[in-house]
Amino acid sequence: MTSGTSSVHRATTHRPDPGLVALGEVRTGLLQHSAAIPHQLAERILQLVPGERVRLSQRPIAHALSPELMAGVDCRLAAASGTHIDGTGTVLTRASITGGTVVQASARAVVGPARADHRLPWSHYMARPGMIETRGKIEVDDLAAGFIGQPTSSSALDLSALSRRMMDVIQGSSQLDHAPRMRTKRTRLRWTARTVTAEQPHGLVEFAIEDDVLRTLQLRTKIDRIAMVASLCENLALHDWLLSTLLELIEREQRGAPHAPQAVLRLRPAIDSLLHLWMPAAHIDESLHPVWEALERRAGFTRQWEQLRDRIRDQVTLSAVTLMSVVTEGSASE
Amino acid sequence: MESSFREATAEERVASVPLSHLSVELGHLYAEDISAGRDSLAAYFQRVAPWAAEARLTALARVSGQRRPRVSTCFLVDDYFARLGSPATIIPDLLETAADSGLHIDYLARESGCVDADQVPLAQLVEGHLVPDPAPNSTGLRPAVSEAGWLCNGQRSPVNGPSEAMRPVLPWAPAVENGRRRHSIFLDIELWDQTDGRRTWSCPFLAAVWQLLRLGLLRYQGRDVVVPKAWDHDTYPQEWDDLPAILQLSPRAAPFSAYRTFSILDGRFLPVEHAVRTILAQVAVEPLVLEQIVERSNGEGMRLAPEISSRIAYLFLPE
Amino acid sequence: MIILSTSDKGGTGRSVTSCNLAYRRALQGSDVAYLDFDFGSPTAGAILSVSGAERGTTSGAGLHHYLQDRVAEPEQIDVWSASEREGLRGRPMGAGRLVLVPGDQGGGEFPVGTEMVDRCIQLFLSMEAEFELVLVDLSAGRSQAADLILSATAARQLQAITVRWLVFHRWTRQHIIAASGLVFGERGLIEAGTERGHDRADLENSIRFVRTAVLDLSSPEMAGLRPPQAAWLQSCNRELQELATKTKLGRTTMLGSIPLDPVLQWREQLISDNDVVFSQIANPQTSQAYEDLAKRLVHDEAWMSL
Repeated sequence: MTSGTSSVHRATTHRPDPGLVALGEVRTGLLQHSAAIPHQLAERILQLVPGERVRLSQRPIAHALSPELMAGVDCRLAAASGTHIDGTGTVLTRASITGGTVVQASARAVVGPARADHRLPWSHYMARPGMIETRGKIEVDDLAAGFIGQPTSSSALDLSALSRRMMDVIQGSSQLDHAPRMRTKRTRLRWTARTVTAEQPHGLVEFAIEDDVLRTLQLRTKIDRIAMVASLCENLALHDWLLSTLLELIEREQRGAPHAPQAVLRLRPAIDSLLHLWMPAAHIDESLHPVWEALERRAGFTRQWEQLRDRIRDQVTLSAVTLMSVVTEGSASE
Repeated sequence: MESSFREATAEERVASVPLSHLSVELGHLYAEDISAGRDSLAAYFQRVAPWAAEARLTALARVSGQRRPRVSTCFLVDDYFARLGSPATIIPDLLETAADSGLHIDYLARESGCVDADQVPLAQLVEGHLVPDPAPNSTGLRPAVSEAGWLCNGQRSPVNGPSEAMRPVLPWAPAVENGRRRHSIFLDIELWDQTDGRRTWSCPFLAAVWQLLRLGLLRYQGRDVVVPKAWDHDTYPQEWDDLPAILQLSPRAAPFSAYRTFSILDGRFLPVEHAVRTILAQVAVEPLVLEQIVERSNGEGMRLAPEISSRIAYLFLPE
Repeated sequence: MIILSTSDKGGTGRSVTSCNLAYRRALQGSDVAYLDFDFGSPTAGAILSVSGAERGTTSGAGLHHYLQDRVAEPEQIDVWSASEREGLRGRPMGAGRLVLVPGDQGGGEFPVGTEMVDRCIQLFLSMEAEFELVLVDLSAGRSQAADLILSATAARQLQAITVRWLVFHRWTRQHIIAASGLVFGERGLIEAGTERGHDRADLENSIRFVRTAVLDLSSPEMAGLRPPQAAWLQSCNRELQELATKTKLGRTTMLGSIPLDPVLQWREQLISDNDVVFSQIANPQTSQAYEDLAKRLVHDEAWMSL
């Protein structure tokens, strides 16, 4: 008998069958703290399960990921056709802090049909973390569309509430000073990933900005990648939030006196805390990089980001010059 | 060009613990049973012996082929709920009376070791991993209904509390079991109580922790939680607290933890074990640990179901 | 910053003034959220002319349901795009966001439990993270809403946030006495707040009074009064001022005064400078009073320790 440490890859026990759909929601927001927090503090805040480790990485960007929490659900699932589908199982939730600055909270589950037509003992579902089994057959397209279009107030599976609660736990932490340097919106990304067989086209991506806080993403993926999709969606949500937040801050800066050199000073917090966070596809499994690339081609995330970043830097340089000349003139006239 | 990059702190890792095929519990006695003296201990082990014969245990280990199964035996002493006599006399009494009936105790564990062991707050660790069995219409909107210190297998009878002004008051309804077959067997388990800010864990809760230890399913920061300490002295200390949580009494014993457990208990423990199974059904074991153990059992040609409850067997002794 | 609007009695014009203050702050460039905590009668939607939410929202995602944990997220209505009034639609140049977080239609008062206090803390934290000004309109009197908010604002997580109270009252004897009672009296804001963990002096310093429907005796309209009428009004006003000082509602604790305006007596609505019809009918003093008060809301000098 040997005792030692082994590292095992996730998602081998319950290799899902074809015809599954993963559903998830990611919330992204600015950490409610006056400065970027160090890794050790992020670790303490994300220590949500006693005895389980927070995963920390420093490269290419500081990233702390909480252990996964499980929640039991037994309810109806939203279906676009209105078909009544009940499911039982568990949802996984987790939180992360990137660059000591941005918080993400996510909830997700893989939905598939059960073999039994009645609810099984709870131990059955506990042994399949993050799986929801439906009673009766399912149409994955119907479930995916139902989830994407689900209203805030409904009596169906509510991943939105689970991710919100997780977000509130992190943002309400007593370790934070709740005095952030700027005001920003929280965004939500609702995503689905349908499994495809080897012959079917995969990677198909539909990304949509539904309103000022809600975004949706629909993917098709091979079954062995379904467990990795969550990280991809979190990464996408992070970059979408960075972009949205920068746009919002620029809009606010221009609201008052748009050309006053002081106005640009209001962008200072953004420059200090956000501009260095752009790191697309960090910590994403390489097999999913094509999805990022496809999104880049269509939505042009990085193009827009670079353009905004350059604009802010130019403005800062310009106004620094202007402020300097104001100061110089002022002292000259004395 | 292929390249690889890793950061150790970013990886999920869990320790792998030594495992037997079967962990056999030869009994669990309350303080009063032990203080009843040697004769009553001897009588107890005589009742156990026929059910713990080697051939029977070999069959229960369910090892395929001609392989010789790894079977270890253990005994849990209750030093948590009552003041017990000194280990210096009790342990030799236990070992000798068991031996008189042809039984050998490989590991002796203290019940307080299920609360805290080797600086690991085990009971709290397990409590932190409870995922309550959801009642129908649990959408995730609200956190699972919970009463601090209690865990049940369904929905409690609703309490008529104050509601929004001018809304109708709810009529009485019975408690119901989740996933019942028409009729309910509702169980509400007290996990702990508290007096003067001091928490006392309940017997079923600690027995659930005990099962998880025997199944090798607990980890703390990815590490193994309790390692049995070999005891090769002939004498024992005066105080239980001076003993490790789990003592290894025979140097060549098979590992303490096992793929499956088998507990031989007095019939009066039936309700406690019903509660234990209800608790275990709601404990989230780290997925990596679950996977690791299933993989290892496959490697040994065993088929182990992922459900914890399927790995636990009992024999309730007739009077 | 969180501004809490309350009053002891109904009919003080608390809601209509609060809506106008939110509107003015947004025009002055701040991002503003208006939270309708008037649980017995959530009518901010009507004042802001948001169709479908006149008596609270029907989406099921209003504040009643949010606080009772029946929905994950309260609805946010963008007033600039949802208002039915021509003069309000479309965000003006230089203006900030103006968002209504409505109550639920058919919702009533409900009991407050510890979970609800937690929900309220989370709500305030997430609103504060997004908006420069969060204006909360409470039910009149010693309400569940006031109780909830006193508990929530005492929470450790909200200590970094500036929280200010506005107590509205009409300029009459009964109203002055009632408003003073609501703040300083038995089971009043200060006593109840101290019990819930607020520092008495800090809480007292965060409360200011707003007089509403005040007759301006120097205004041209008053010129038509007969001398005995004018003299009588003057003496009444002096008496009221003495009473206000005695009950700690004097000049030092007063943040503003809104003149009596017939438009608001008959129709509770926003007084908008863009609105051609109403800018003719409403008194210019009224919109000026809102404008000034909206500035003083966030002006630290007006909130210095007394």
